[in-house]
Amino acid sequence: MMKMACWFIIVGLPVCVFAQNTAGGKNASPDKLRRDASGKPDLSGIWQGIGVSLFGETGEVRPGEGRASTWGPSPGPPPYQDWAVSKVKALASDDRKDPSVQCKMAGTPRITGIPVPFEIAQTPKKTYILYESNHIFRIIPTGGRPHPSPDELDPTYMGDSIGRWDGDTFVVDVTGFNDKTWLPGPGHFHSDALHVVERYTLQPNDTILYEATMEDPKIFTKPWQYRLILRHPPRDERIMEAECQENNQDLEHIVPGK
Amino acid sequence: MRTAFSRLVILSGILLNAPHVFAHHSFGAEYDSARPVTLTGVVTRIDWSNPHVYIYIDVKGENGQVTSWALEGHPPNTLRRTGWTRAALKETDTITVTGWMSKDGSNRMAGREVTLPDGKKLFLGPPAQ
Repeated sequence: MMKMACWFIIVGLPVCVFAQNTAGGKNASPDKLRRDASGKPDLSGIWQGIGVSLFGETGEVRPGEGRASTWGPSPGPPPYQDWAVSKVKALASDDRKDPSVQCKMAGTPRITGIPVPFEIAQTPKKTYILYESNHIFRIIPTGGRPHPSPDELDPTYMGDSIGRWDGDTFVVDVTGFNDKTWLPGPGHFHSDALHVVERYTLQPNDTILYEATMEDPKIFTKPWQYRLILRHPPRDERIMEAECQENNQDLEHIVPGK
Repeated sequence: MRTAFSRLVILSGILLNAPHVFAHHSFGAEYDSARPVTLTGVVTRIDWSNPHVYIYIDVKGENGQVTSWALEGHPPNTLRRTGWTRAALKETDTITVTGWMSKDGSNRMAGREVTLPDGKKLFLGPPAQ
């Protein structure tokens, strides 16, 4: 059970203190985890982080899940190098520059946090993530093969993913990105040197504590982390189609400098 | 015992039910939260499309002049999950919608709540941010 208290700090942002289960840490009860035939935690199913699509206007969740959307210590703002700060500010002031507003693939890890669900299908040698947004998919081999060599790895929006298990945590190493997507947050651009390590830790209450660590030596001074709590929908759902390009009127009506 | 698993974590105040946002763009990029509006009109077209559903209505003013408006809402899958079906609304229906005006001066609004001909109310889009 989660207890929560909120108050407002001087900048007007609410600060909340949550008491919640740990990230599969020393006090977790691994025997309560849903597991596959091989004994690994079973991540299969439909998931979403924050937002309305699965959880409705009231933010309805299943009993015992709590209502926090993130966990762990605040990662603070992304650690951009000095030269990049003004570029972030300029990009953030004009939504037309946002790759997602342009209907491009959301990229990894940003796609995990948009309010649109995805399905994980876990099989013995590969794990698949099927995103409703733009019908994006990721195929994550877990059989031990490495990433293709840089000469063979064409830069992509979602990157090349390789999975492995670290105890009961599914770890996905992602590289081979282009520089056409944003990280989570307004104007948070990255370079083609982006390297992401995702950790999916199933909890006894059948939620996932998700953590993505982003390194980008061309724009960051140090790694930056993004954390979410992923939940199943409160009732039966299915992943549907959502093709963003078909009627994107926003680009011609957005007013920059909001 | 569940409480034995607990620890305190400090977060910058993001709750699950807080971000009722457009998945596609920020509210403030296109709509003005300081300019709420309520319109009643006749449905002339429904675009059940991505990244947003658009409902078009003709609104008759006090002088009898008819003005066409576009109402932007969540994408179709979100509306389906929050209670809409395609059969809920059809052309020639008269509806009332609350929402907020566009910033660019066009006859567009971010739709918040639609009152259907039978009086049923459904959310069309997120609240102003």
